[in-house]
Amino acid sequence: MRYVVVGLHAAGRSACAWLRRLDKSAEIVGVDPKPAPAYARPLISHVLAGEIEPELLELKEPDPFAGLGVAVEAERAAALAPDRQVLTLESGKEIAYDRLLIATGASPRRVEVAGDKAGEIRYFRGREDLAAVLDGIKPGGLAVVLGGGLVGFKLTHGLLARRMRVRLIVASPRPLALNVDEYLGGIIGRNLASLPGVELSINTSVTAMETGQERRYKLTLSTGATLEADLVAAGKGVIPAVGWLTGSGLFDGEGQDGLPVDEHLKTRAAHVYAAGDLAQAHDLALDASQVNAIWPLAVEQGRYAAWNMAGQPAAYPGGLAMNSIPMFGSHLVSVGAVNPRYTAGCESLAIEPRKGSYLKLVFRQDVLIGAVGFDAAPRLGELAWAIRQGLRRGRIPRTWLENTVNAAPLADATWGLSRNVQP
Amino acid sequence: MIVKTVIVRPELCVGCMQCMIRCAEAHSQSKDLFSAISEEVLAKPRIHIGVGPEQRPFPNKCRHCEPAPCLEACMPGAIHPDMAGALKIVDETRCIDCGMCSMTCPYYVIRYYPDHKAPGGRTVAVKCDGCQERVAAGLIPACVAACKTEALTYGDVNVAMNQGTDRLAHVASGVAGS
Repeated sequence: MRYVVVGLHAAGRSACAWLRRLDKSAEIVGVDPKPAPAYARPLISHVLAGEIEPELLELKEPDPFAGLGVAVEAERAAALAPDRQVLTLESGKEIAYDRLLIATGASPRRVEVAGDKAGEIRYFRGREDLAAVLDGIKPGGLAVVLGGGLVGFKLTHGLLARRMRVRLIVASPRPLALNVDEYLGGIIGRNLASLPGVELSINTSVTAMETGQERRYKLTLSTGATLEADLVAAGKGVIPAVGWLTGSGLFDGEGQDGLPVDEHLKTRAAHVYAAGDLAQAHDLALDASQVNAIWPLAVEQGRYAAWNMAGQPAAYPGGLAMNSIPMFGSHLVSVGAVNPRYTAGCESLAIEPRKGSYLKLVFRQDVLIGAVGFDAAPRLGELAWAIRQGLRRGRIPRTWLENTVNAAPLADATWGLSRNVQP
Repeated sequence: MIVKTVIVRPELCVGCMQCMIRCAEAHSQSKDLFSAISEEVLAKPRIHIGVGPEQRPFPNKCRHCEPAPCLEACMPGAIHPDMAGALKIVDETRCIDCGMCSMTCPYYVIRYYPDHKAPGGRTVAVKCDGCQERVAAGLIPACVAACKTEALTYGDVNVAMNQGTDRLAHVASGVAGS
């Protein structure tokens, strides 16, 4: 049996490890242009902020594939022919497979602006992007960050730590508009406004980026104003990296919504599976299929895909969006459906267990579907479990709601909320 | 393979919190209660007495799941299994306090505190390590040593499950059991 894993980051590595565990004698081929040293991509923001040394990005085992007996092809995949069960690499080399996993992840969404310097916008996805941002740092200078989402905040946090002033430019009416409610958005907006060195522009976008006079770049804003900056970085989300699969029939349109997969993470093609930042898998909170481009789900999906590829059926129960980011001395966490776009008409319950701390539970038709915490007790994993259980509002014990700091976990069997607790 | 673990019987817990105190002591630098309370970085307990149904105490500690979602979610690879695979251990030198492990833990047993084993005593994830240092030295876990009501015992989980089944059968059949 020959397994081919295309993309050796979170999902691909997880799949390789589980494939080896499940099938000791299988031939496993990994395809990735830069497989080693293996590193944890989401940690680049901690390096930018100077919170950890760059070496800590790398996994303990820099080349995990040798230990797993994975033959690595260090180049990019170019095309897939599911009917012939053949993968073609950029060099033209063809690799036949019995089972194939697509785990090529996602790429930063590009910002469309005019001007001769438009190509110099820096993104923030992998270590090459980190190097580019670090290279552009000018202490005391002005950085412009485009995008008020989680990556925009990470960039702002890191650039401030590198002693740059930051102008955060957000197209929506408030930062984190897709992540938190108006109340919490207000708190975060006020915290941001009180930070020295940060200026926030809402309802604004950049239309052109040209050579500046006093600083490196001159930006023209949608308001008509102009602005000069030393560094321009953007965090506008990601899009699935499926360009190389064009014509394979695995997705619709341009593939911006990812690769549709069934409950066994199998794509439309026989023997081809997908996992990670491009898999349009079931989302438990939304009860719909969508890409959730986050590390823990990529690892989890890699595990499920491996089991199914090895012929041991494992139905993927569905994923949940999750995020945990430092917020200028505070900590914001969220799980499940919290995007106001998806929670319109839902009921919510806000708890403030102590001053300055906030925990909000979101219910749709009485069923828990999401939670947001701001400096709250670290029990979002427990709420993720409760969302997976389809916990109803009326079943959450009053004791728990009245004491979210010390209450026993909902997954504790003595509450009687579940007979079989599965993490 | 017989793997011993801490077995919890919440119905026997009286909420005295001795387990928490002895756990913190066992994870202090001095391993001595009176010295531990004056250490620069205060040791924290890895077991917590939560408030359960009807305000009853509930001893809550890491279940060392397999597969462990915290280990899978740990981006810097700070959480790793012990040699037997029965314990999931935090390497304080690699933990960066990113919070992802607690985002995936269903049991609210991972907390974040400054720790003397972390470089500069920085804040890291703090959870039960099965008292592996004590066990390697031939001792039983500190929380078990502290528990006077047998709410916490140290033994083979398969034996404990058999005993639990027996107790249930006794109750169901009306025979007095322990």
